[in-house]
Amino acid sequence: MWKRLFLVRGAELLLFASLAALPLAVASPYALGLLMLLAIYGILLIGLDVTVGYLGQVNLAQAAFLGLGAYAAAIVVTHTGLGLVGALLVAPTVCFVLGALLALPALRLEGPQFALATLSFTALATTALNELEWLTQGAQGFSLSRPPLLGHALGARAFYWMCVALLAMVWIAMRNLLSSQWGRAFEALRDSPIATDAMGVGTYRHKVAAFAFGSGLGGLAGALYAFNFQYLQPQSFVYELTVILLLGVVLGGRKSLWGAFVGASLVALLPNLLSNRTLFQAFSALGLAVALAAGARGLFRRTMRPFQAIAPVVATSALVVGGLVVENTEDWRKAIFALMLFSVVVGLPEGLMGFATRFLAQLLRIAPPPLPPPSPLDEVLPARLADGAVLLELRDLRRHFGGVKAVDGVSLAVRAGHVHGLIGPNGSGKSTLVNVISGLYTPTSGEALLRGSPLPHGSLVRVARAGVARTFQNLQLFTGLTALENVMVALTGVYRAPLPFVLLGLGRAEDRRARADALALLELVGLREQARTPAKDLTYGAQRFLEMARALARKPEVLILDEPAAGLAHPDVVKQVEVIRRIRERGVTIVLIEHHMDVVTQLCDVVTALDGGKLIAEGSPDEVKRHPKVIEAYLGNVGDAALPAPPAGARIS
Amino acid sequence: MPASIVAQMAISGALMGLVYALIAYGFQLTYATSKSINFGQGELVMVSAFFSLTLLDLGLSYWLVLPAGLLFGAALGLVVERAGVRLALEQKSEGWILLTIILGLFFFSAAENIWGRDDRPFPTPIPSDSIHVLGVDVTPLELSVAVGVLAVMGLIELLKRRTLLGKAFEAVSVDRDAGELMGISAKRTVMLSYALSGAVAALAGILVSPITTVGPTMASALVLKAFSVAVVAGLDSGFGVVLVGMFLGALETLASFYVGSGWREAPGLVLLILALAVRPTGVFGKAAIRKV
Repeated sequence: MWKRLFLVRGAELLLFASLAALPLAVASPYALGLLMLLAIYGILLIGLDVTVGYLGQVNLAQAAFLGLGAYAAAIVVTHTGLGLVGALLVAPTVCFVLGALLALPALRLEGPQFALATLSFTALATTALNELEWLTQGAQGFSLSRPPLLGHALGARAFYWMCVALLAMVWIAMRNLLSSQWGRAFEALRDSPIATDAMGVGTYRHKVAAFAFGSGLGGLAGALYAFNFQYLQPQSFVYELTVILLLGVVLGGRKSLWGAFVGASLVALLPNLLSNRTLFQAFSALGLAVALAAGARGLFRRTMRPFQAIAPVVATSALVVGGLVVENTEDWRKAIFALMLFSVVVGLPEGLMGFATRFLAQLLRIAPPPLPPPSPLDEVLPARLADGAVLLELRDLRRHFGGVKAVDGVSLAVRAGHVHGLIGPNGSGKSTLVNVISGLYTPTSGEALLRGSPLPHGSLVRVARAGVARTFQNLQLFTGLTALENVMVALTGVYRAPLPFVLLGLGRAEDRRARADALALLELVGLREQARTPAKDLTYGAQRFLEMARALARKPEVLILDEPAAGLAHPDVVKQVEVIRRIRERGVTIVLIEHHMDVVTQLCDVVTALDGGKLIAEGSPDEVKRHPKVIEAYLGNVGDAALPAPPAGARIS
Repeated sequence: MPASIVAQMAISGALMGLVYALIAYGFQLTYATSKSINFGQGELVMVSAFFSLTLLDLGLSYWLVLPAGLLFGAALGLVVERAGVRLALEQKSEGWILLTIILGLFFFSAAENIWGRDDRPFPTPIPSDSIHVLGVDVTPLELSVAVGVLAVMGLIELLKRRTLLGKAFEAVSVDRDAGELMGISAKRTVMLSYALSGAVAALAGILVSPITTVGPTMASALVLKAFSVAVVAGLDSGFGVVLVGMFLGALETLASFYVGSGWREAPGLVLLILALAVRPTGVFGKAAIRKV
């Protein structure tokens, strides 16, 4: 515990202390300029990492936000009396708002379309900066002077210290944000947007917030950039810079403040590296040696595909040969950068810091922070009144897909405290029914009511918040998060601190509480020992139980379990029946879709059978099992017609 | 402002828009088979144009250079597939976005150093004196762009529909796994699509160079508009790109006339962001039902 705190926080302290002390040791204005750039790019890349690392989207708009922030700051100090502090507030705000506006349409997209939308935004921003001459002075450039800070003129060194102080503030604020529920939500929606919505977290809201936040930091970096260079030109903020920034984040390591910082150092120092020939040759030779060693190790241990091992060696060899042959390495700047990046992206996908942290954690044996004892279950999941009153009611619910009537007029009532089974052959409309109730699909007509008031239509988030939680037949876990974090993301009623408090680090107490609560739910489903295991590494059976724990974290009135036993081995099925009984004892009403008739018989108070989108039978498990229509639906019409005679020569097994 | 001049501008803009459509079509080809596109496609256009120019300078005839340029483009497409896309597809990651950007950066830098940073004219046997057709002036050069674009797109679509190879291409586009189960190699189909896409990019470069001149940055604006066209039309709609491309071409000529030449790029970008807001799958794209 203390060792961890000491090493992790100590390294950060050391970093900022040396950043602050360096200008005292080095007097050269040139070196100071480089350090300044490093601090500014650090802020910029931390902002970019929010979208690239946490949301997992390729964002090509960060250079545009740097430019927009720089111009906003320049315009503020030149044309208004707001001064330095005002500019440092206005620039991020402008970029935050613009980022949110861009995110609203663009974040409905995924992957390449999102990258294209942000790329277009960059081009549009450059066009606007070039053409709005009355405001930006267009291509001839915008000159400004660095305003005083609260009446004190800032020399280069003082300004640098201010940049480092801002970098430290951003660093701490982002660490607080990203280790809070917000950061977990960002990662959750990267892994499964549908489940993020179904857990009432709200995909869209978090995506827009994350993007706007990153853009706002771009704006802050832009303001510092403007006061540093005191001269701005639109063509500084074009596609090329955006690519280099993006690659800086990837090179340094995604989802890591240190990674962003390392990336920023590389981006800032690269031109110097290239201008010194000997340094470049040494550097590329080192790169080749690392690529050879890593490639040979990867091939030998079979952790890498041949391409992954060989391609970086080829790329770094090209660097070494190029360093010997090419006359002026600076002309080949982009190609050199491309080769370096290619080697890292292919051979070291987690980036330099991703690799280094894993390595250091092993070397120094840093233990993860200990878990708190689980909260008492009565606090996490207070017992509900199981009075048998009608809780969830469906009235003539329909959902048609073109001509297919997947759900065709279903009415039923689920009573509080019951386990209500829903059975029917494949294609009978069970899953569609669940998808309509939980808000994934809008009903074609009809109504679903919870305690007499209609459930929202076609919105997973709002249905989840109304008190209906669900699991997914095809698992929708947040695969990159641990089992504990999966439950913590969905946990409701714990996170109350508003965003500014979270940024200041005042949300830690409730985070501890959330951890204890989530642990109690994991214990309920028998996963306490695997709390720290990433969801993707759990066994299939454990993943099914984790889905249930996560849905329970919503503290729902109605829990819909969509074929929870599908594909489970027999011992797990037995365990699951036990878990569902325990959940029911808490007074949670359960709608259970299930194929295993023995599970249905053991658990359900009432069973509804569907076929062809219509309700065909309802009653106790035994009644429904013997109902002629149910037998017909499952086995075909065996009563009236005799089975056709098998063709001659057919084998009868 | 007489209507004939507006028509004149709209038509020459629309003819230019066919080049955007052709590059956008190159995106669609690879998106169909692998759900990936080459973010360095502009560099393919540019490098192929430079290569063809070098062949012309060596004294080869234009009609020999054309197929050679297309072959070169196809080869570059294969390089992109091998170095930038295949690994990411195998890992089911979106690493190809970064890797194709990186390859583009490399090609750009190489071209800058091999052929220089200056814009150079691209000789062509097709005359550029304007002729009068249906009340507007067009140059045979512009018409050759239209003919080339439509002919190649038509040819590829015909191949996809009529040949066994083309049917395999379509099968992998619809369902990669099912195609593999039917004995079609998805890997080879993706390679084919990247080769075709590279050839299409090379053609765009050769067709447009006599009009725009050849230089390292010749394709950066082109490809941006091609992105807009591909997204607005929908990445899976065959001929939608032609309509959207021509519309965008006409729109931007008019915009640069009425608003100012610096705003030439703006309509495409605004159109893109608007289209995304209203219809993320594109105007001609198919909306998919979310399944869980």
